[in-house]
Amino acid sequence: MSGAAIALTIVVAVVAGTIAFGLWSVRSIPKDPVQYIVGGRSFGTILLWVLLAGEIYTSFTFLGMAGWAYGRGAPAYYIFAYGVVGYIVGYFLLPAIARVGKERGLLTAPDFFVERFGSRALGVGVAICQFVLLVPYVTLQLSGLQHILQIAGYGAYDATAAVGIAFLFVALFVFTTGLRGTAWASVIKDVLVLGAVLFAGIAIPIQFFGSHATLIDQVLRRHPGFLTLRPGTAPNGAIWYVTTVLFTGVGFFMGPQSFNAAYSARSENTLRRNAIFLPIYAGVVLLLVFFAGLSALLIVPGLTGPNADQSFLLVVQRYYPPWVIGFVAAAGALAALIPASALLLAAASLFAKNVLGEFGIATTDASRTLATRVLVLIVAGAAVVLWILQPRTLVELLLIYYNGVAQFAPATIATFVWRRITVWGAAAGMGAGLILAVVLSNANLPLWGINPGFVAMAVNAVVLVVVSLLTAKIKEPATASS
Amino acid sequence: MVSLRATLAAIPIAALSVAVPLVNQVEPRVFGLPFVMFWIVAWGFAAPVFLWAIGRLERRW
Repeated sequence: MSGAAIALTIVVAVVAGTIAFGLWSVRSIPKDPVQYIVGGRSFGTILLWVLLAGEIYTSFTFLGMAGWAYGRGAPAYYIFAYGVVGYIVGYFLLPAIARVGKERGLLTAPDFFVERFGSRALGVGVAICQFVLLVPYVTLQLSGLQHILQIAGYGAYDATAAVGIAFLFVALFVFTTGLRGTAWASVIKDVLVLGAVLFAGIAIPIQFFGSHATLIDQVLRRHPGFLTLRPGTAPNGAIWYVTTVLFTGVGFFMGPQSFNAAYSARSENTLRRNAIFLPIYAGVVLLLVFFAGLSALLIVPGLTGPNADQSFLLVVQRYYPPWVIGFVAAAGALAALIPASALLLAAASLFAKNVLGEFGIATTDASRTLATRVLVLIVAGAAVVLWILQPRTLVELLLIYYNGVAQFAPATIATFVWRRITVWGAAAGMGAGLILAVVLSNANLPLWGINPGFVAMAVNAVVLVVVSLLTAKIKEPATASS
Repeated sequence: MVSLRATLAAIPIAALSVAVPLVNQVEPRVFGLPFVMFWIVAWGFAAPVFLWAIGRLERRW
């Protein structure tokens, strides 16, 4: 057997085994939307742990952190820092969202806005925006999977068909099991990812450089200034770092899939415990990936663009036996496919409930579950088509996703801390934030180094407050328990 | 008056964001890491302690 055959066989076996494990652990096929979409609100600490870790740390984090460490150095620290800020915000926000979800029987992220503002029209608007933001994010996972399969195949074949087939199976898996299957499959994914990064972040630096301190010494000698931030307004400099950490940290749990995860928790303390312990796991993973990226910078220098993202995989591929790259690539493939399954479910459920449902389609429990299932397949198909049509613009699409979903944060947080917010203020703030986020993400203005999403969120918050005060007499906000 | 809980949450957030440009240097190296990197990693692992303390104040455990 050639190296590529051995490595790819391992990837296929692991992915197939994980899907089989997910199917086996679910046992019954849910027809009730609460079971299908939010796991019957019964997830304990461990299932929620793997679900949240699975949704947040995708193949892009896995490869992106290494790519940033390789290509930029110090700016990669932000990936480590914003997650921690995100968990601190999440400690307060996730239980609050879960409480509203449980008391009011919410299923999707737009449901939250319908409930808090008493406006179904706002729900439709939020649902359409979130759906449009999610599809390219799913597409991004396909692209990550393609890079990983190409490395595992030693560049010898075109992975397009394999990516399509893998994705079809994952869509059918979500179609069958819903959120519970995704959570169980995440257990295997997290164990494999941890194993892969322990190897890449500990074994590679020690084997090639003797110790991590020596690795850092050599990086500093060859690239002075690489491991400190550039000052002030420089691109990826100090101002960029501060605004990016604050902005992405506040927006960390604003993806619709995170609302679904919050609703799935058995209790509020389950979410709090996760907010405390997840950053430790995430921190270890990211730190090790950072070391792997730095090692690759010295071992295989000179890569640019998307190739930089694959740098540490290339080291594994070149210097280790095929079964090693097989397992590392399998971990990476699951890191693309499992988060994609949660994204598919979030996109399908919010479209079925908050768009189709509002227009009188599929309003009973059984038909709503069926509509969500069919939409899972449609969204998966749309993501594959988008991926085949425009694979080059993905980085811009990712920026729009991150900058876009974070724009739901000011209104979400305000419903818990500022009782004078009105539906008009929320809608105007989100609208202004989303438009600015899309425009600024693509405009390439300097903005004195400030992250464009930060600017959009600040404008969003100001518009929210001003319009709320101006429209205070028109409509009182729905004040559920806070 | 700012509550103790809010302060406990704000300290690690500030340490990981606005404070980082103030410690943006290689020396002194700690455990072989550049100082700024050690600072960020250390606060990342300290943040859970702050959250746990907030939970205690709220009598959640």
